[in-house]
Amino acid sequence: MSVLRQIQPIQPILPIAPRRHLRPVTTRVQPVSSRTVSSRANANSFRTALPANILRKLIIGFAAVGLLSLVANALCDTAVYKISSLKIESAALATKTQIIGQEVDSLRSPQNLSNSAKSLGMIVNSNPVFLNVREAKVLGSAIPASISASSGVSTNLIANAAMTVKSDMSNFGKKTVSRIDAPTQKAISDSSVKSANLDGTKVALTTVGIPATPTN
Amino acid sequence: MHSSETDKRYVIFTSVVLIILAIFLYRLVWVQVIDAASINQISRDARQATRTIEAIRGNIIDNEGHILATTVLSWDVNIDPKNAGPVVLKVAGQKVAFSKEEIAQKLAELLHVSKEELLSKMSGTDRYANLKKSVSAATYSKLKELDIPWVYFDLQQKRHYADGAVAGNLIGFVGSDGSALEGIERMMNSCLAGTDGKETYIQGADLIRIPSSVKVIQQVKHGSDVVLSINSDLQYSAQQEMAATVRRLKADWASAIVIEVSTGRILAAAEAPSVDPNNPSGVQAQNRSSRIFRSSFEPGSILKPVAAATAVDTGKANPSTHVIAPDKLRMPWGQYINDSEIHAPEKLTLTGVLVQSSNTGLVQLGGKVESKTRYEYMKKFGMGVRSGVNFDGEASGLLTNYKNWDRMTDKTVMFGQGVSLTPIQTAGIYQAIANKGVRLSPVLVEGCMDKNGSLTKTAVDAPVRVLSEQTAATTIDMLEKVVEQGPIGKTARIQGYRVGGKTGTAQIAEGSGYGRLHAVSFVGLAPAENPQFIVAVTAFKSRTVSNSLGATPGFVAVMKQVLKTYAVPPSTTKSKNIPTRWN
Repeated sequence: MSVLRQIQPIQPILPIAPRRHLRPVTTRVQPVSSRTVSSRANANSFRTALPANILRKLIIGFAAVGLLSLVANALCDTAVYKISSLKIESAALATKTQIIGQEVDSLRSPQNLSNSAKSLGMIVNSNPVFLNVREAKVLGSAIPASISASSGVSTNLIANAAMTVKSDMSNFGKKTVSRIDAPTQKAISDSSVKSANLDGTKVALTTVGIPATPTN
Repeated sequence: MHSSETDKRYVIFTSVVLIILAIFLYRLVWVQVIDAASINQISRDARQATRTIEAIRGNIIDNEGHILATTVLSWDVNIDPKNAGPVVLKVAGQKVAFSKEEIAQKLAELLHVSKEELLSKMSGTDRYANLKKSVSAATYSKLKELDIPWVYFDLQQKRHYADGAVAGNLIGFVGSDGSALEGIERMMNSCLAGTDGKETYIQGADLIRIPSSVKVIQQVKHGSDVVLSINSDLQYSAQQEMAATVRRLKADWASAIVIEVSTGRILAAAEAPSVDPNNPSGVQAQNRSSRIFRSSFEPGSILKPVAAATAVDTGKANPSTHVIAPDKLRMPWGQYINDSEIHAPEKLTLTGVLVQSSNTGLVQLGGKVESKTRYEYMKKFGMGVRSGVNFDGEASGLLTNYKNWDRMTDKTVMFGQGVSLTPIQTAGIYQAIANKGVRLSPVLVEGCMDKNGSLTKTAVDAPVRVLSEQTAATTIDMLEKVVEQGPIGKTARIQGYRVGGKTGTAQIAEGSGYGRLHAVSFVGLAPAENPQFIVAVTAFKSRTVSNSLGATPGFVAVMKQVLKTYAVPPSTTKSKNIPTRWN
């Protein structure tokens, strides 16, 4: 008999299988006081509480940052889109300004003024005459303008394709003169400049007639 | 034992979550930091677009700030034919269905294009068709109100000339692509044109720009304004007169220049026919540029004051120097110099020679000055070189060296044959006489003004002393007699004012000789006692009047307007008594 045989155990050593079954657990209620907690339990509790706290804080932190960034982003985008919409509005207003500007340009062009003046029966008096108010003198020969004697050209001969709007002088007498004269007469009759109602003399940029000044 | 298992699982779970988070974090850092540049580049390449911010071309304004040329917005009207079909539009708050034909009718009314043409463009499967280019803001606004989904617009710049053809020949015009083609537009392009900017932006899947992504990578620099010396009211008035002159004379063209004597500023440079820069194709090509600067021709008798002033300035003659002027003068080599009319020999003074516009008298008196000296005086008067305005395509005229003059040219240059001048050069000669003998470089462009109102003045040539002050005054006295006593000069009188001037009826070179028609002109100054303005009127190829009688009415009208505009009071003195004849 060998030595090896002599020291052979009586029972064979079985391999330890993993415990996969549930076992009843007895819980031992201990006082809540930390002082009474054993050192082992304390260590276990610390190991579980620390990652949980960190995780919780991380999640809350991420959520808070995300929320803040979302709000900030939304506010920023709202402002940008507001700017964009204001730019569009500005462009629309610029278009309107351009339309009105071109209308004014057209009405004040020399061609339109010349045609309007002619339609009112005005003719050029090219004879230079000046009044010296201080000395009460007339400088030059005051010769009335006449079609035959006038060397000026009253009819417009200069082309203007940009003159898209023309003065309608048929309304000139009705609209302009009456609107200016009426309040003037009222002001005189009332003997009070302050009481004069000038509303009727307000000038609107329309396509009829030359815009007139509200000055009486 | 139980607690240990739970903790273990908890630790495993937390570790897994943390590992996943770490992976995410690593990926985040990788994407956002480490590989950010290349990923951004890929993203940009896919969605980024670059847009050119067009610089706005500057204005052209007159000497009183009135805008003659400006830049406005215009719109190309385009459609998507594939989607062109019936639409529902809001009319007075109500939704109304419109057929394709009805929409075409509406568009035709707004665009002034035939309905049939529009309908043909609106059919097919193409995704693009242009209905009309460059419509006005008013038309665009009306189209926009219709809100037709398959109509869209391309914005662009357009030049707008509010006064039409007023100064059109000077201002010039730009092409449909915005390139400067003529006149001041071309000459001052470096001032008017700005520098385009650039911006990048990210566009969405629908190609719409994301507003927050816009990034300017190159700032736009808008063009500056060009300030002209022109008075647009005076310019209009002068153009009216020239248009009337062309009608009356049935001339090819007529021009009027107004120069302020003391500064050389050109206040008006009017031409007829004129071009409306809004529609340059509306006139023939030869009428689209400025003849005042580009056309040179033999000036004729309006050049006589140069020879007379030269003779006085060199001491070879004075206003009363006698000469016998026949109607035909035989030269030593056998050729003849003729006057324009047959007449008996006249006993004239140098002043009388100008009054009668005698070629034979002038050749005798002016000929006392040697050729070289006369040539040098002509050069000092600005002949043979461009005026100094350096207008786009400006002509320099022709003044050949005196060494190349043949015997006849040596005489004829004294009465304006054998040399050629542009109208602006002619006016410049009279400016020198009126400005006490000092010729100033004419000014058409005052300068280039930036958006802050800072004006960079145009460089001008140094003043040139041509005549002594005394000679200049003497020459003016002689010119005054032309208007007082000259057979045609009398028609240039202006009541209340002392006026000096000279008539010119120049033959026009055609082939190897001269044609039947003339260039008639009158150049004058007023008031003669202290000249402030020069007015030079020329009518080319007058068909109804063959002498300066065709030009003097235009001169009078323009000069009267100048005197009124600048409030020049009537003269209070009388002209000097200078004999024009002798016994």
